[in-house]
Amino acid sequence: MFLYFWREAWRSFRAHRGLAVTSVLSLTAALTLCGIFVLFDHNARQALNAIGDRREMIVYLKDDISDVQLSTLTDKVKLYFGEPTYVSRQQAWTELSEQLGDPALLSGVEDNPLPASLRVRLKPELLNFTAMEQAAKQVLEFPEVEDVRYGAEYVRRLDEFSAGMRATAWAAGGVVALAIVLMLFNTLRLTLLARRHQVEVMLRMGASDRFIAMPYVLEGLMHTGLAAVASLLLVFALQQGLTTRLAGLTFLPWTWSLSFVLLALGVAWVASTAALNRILRTIGS
Amino acid sequence: MISFEHVTKRYGERLALDDVTWRMEEGECAVIHGHSAAGKTTLLRLITHETQPTSGVVTVGTFRGGRLSRSHRALLRRTIGVIYEDFRLLPDRTVYENVALSLYIAGQHLEADLHPKVRRALHEVGLEAHRDLLPAELSYGERQRCAIARAIVNRPALILADEPTGALEPKSAAEVLSLLLRIHREGAALLLGTTRAEVANVIGGRRYVLEDGRLRDAAVAAPAGAAAGGA
Repeated sequence: MFLYFWREAWRSFRAHRGLAVTSVLSLTAALTLCGIFVLFDHNARQALNAIGDRREMIVYLKDDISDVQLSTLTDKVKLYFGEPTYVSRQQAWTELSEQLGDPALLSGVEDNPLPASLRVRLKPELLNFTAMEQAAKQVLEFPEVEDVRYGAEYVRRLDEFSAGMRATAWAAGGVVALAIVLMLFNTLRLTLLARRHQVEVMLRMGASDRFIAMPYVLEGLMHTGLAAVASLLLVFALQQGLTTRLAGLTFLPWTWSLSFVLLALGVAWVASTAALNRILRTIGS
Repeated sequence: MISFEHVTKRYGERLALDDVTWRMEEGECAVIHGHSAAGKTTLLRLITHETQPTSGVVTVGTFRGGRLSRSHRALLRRTIGVIYEDFRLLPDRTVYENVALSLYIAGQHLEADLHPKVRRALHEVGLEAHRDLLPAELSYGERQRCAIARAIVNRPALILADEPTGALEPKSAAEVLSLLLRIHREGAALLLGTTRAEVANVIGGRRYVLEDGRLRDAAVAAPAGAAAGGA
């Protein structure tokens, strides 16, 4: 059965080559635009993940806690919040000295004022502002804890930027999906109107809407599939061209590329089916 | 098989059919004779549900009256073979593909099932040798024979022919009528609409005259071919 539909789709594709090429080029342009957004979104996510990896929570400890208390606290933090690393007062002092570079700057300080701390590499599900804020409050309630710092403002901004990038990518995807719907609707309408006589004959012979529509739906999928592959090639060319200027710019992983093509085909399937239902009802009874 | 109960059809102000009550039984042969624009095509289109009556009820087999859904309309049309004056073949398909289309539409997609049926239909209309030609490469008579093959390939119980010889010269017309009679004799009901009295004479069967939208039972006649040994 499908062989017949594919044969018909190919027949229609060949018969309306001009229209098909125009459709594929228009879809390629729209999908390339979307592909560029997806490429930048992917790279931005990678960059954000790299930054996110460096997000940590510093739990300052009270001066008078015992080794047993420290051990209990470390276990609890490890269980609920992430991987803790103990930094003693002396270590903190050494690190500060190294960061300042000039020991003379600290020569006036008689006693080490720095507290011991736990540097907590948070669990992935806690790497957002709300979860970190919540975690900080909970950690602060432990009696052994003096204070908690996690760079709230920095984390909040990072999250906002990340959400903005995602929203932009989705908006671009939405606009492109709409463009695909409109382009396929018009292409299929023109194709069907050019074959109006044949469609009317088929309807009179008892063909169901599905029987008539299926080859055109497949034709829409052929246009979109070709356009999706072409747009990925263009995005790949762009990425290769930009690599010299934007170091670290990587192409989409194959799972993203495959999802990109499948999503485009899914939108095309829905658009073609909806368009044909509508068009067939205007052509004949 | 077909019944019209007080069927009236208007196109705006124009009355195409006026209170037509009529029946046609299974395996019957009937000719509707009338001048151009008398309402013959309207009557045939009512049977295929291409149009709806203004009033009255049309029943075809188990499909009774009212406005059928698109899927039911399609189902109804698959049970009828229709032959048009202008053939209505698909120009970009070969003779074979045009005939096979009826089977595809009926949901038969296996080449092993489909091929013998198409060959048989083409054999019956004498077009086996032309199976790979496009309609434009055929004479008008051959095109009509191709349309007949397409109409009969599914072995429908009812064949509707709307002025099937209208575009043909006398020799081809005689061949087509002879073919239709043969198909009818094999069991299919045949309803033919024509403006030509000689066509009605050749086909025979029950004869109706359609005049000013009214259908009149003219007579039951034996086909001329039955006495003459062919149309």
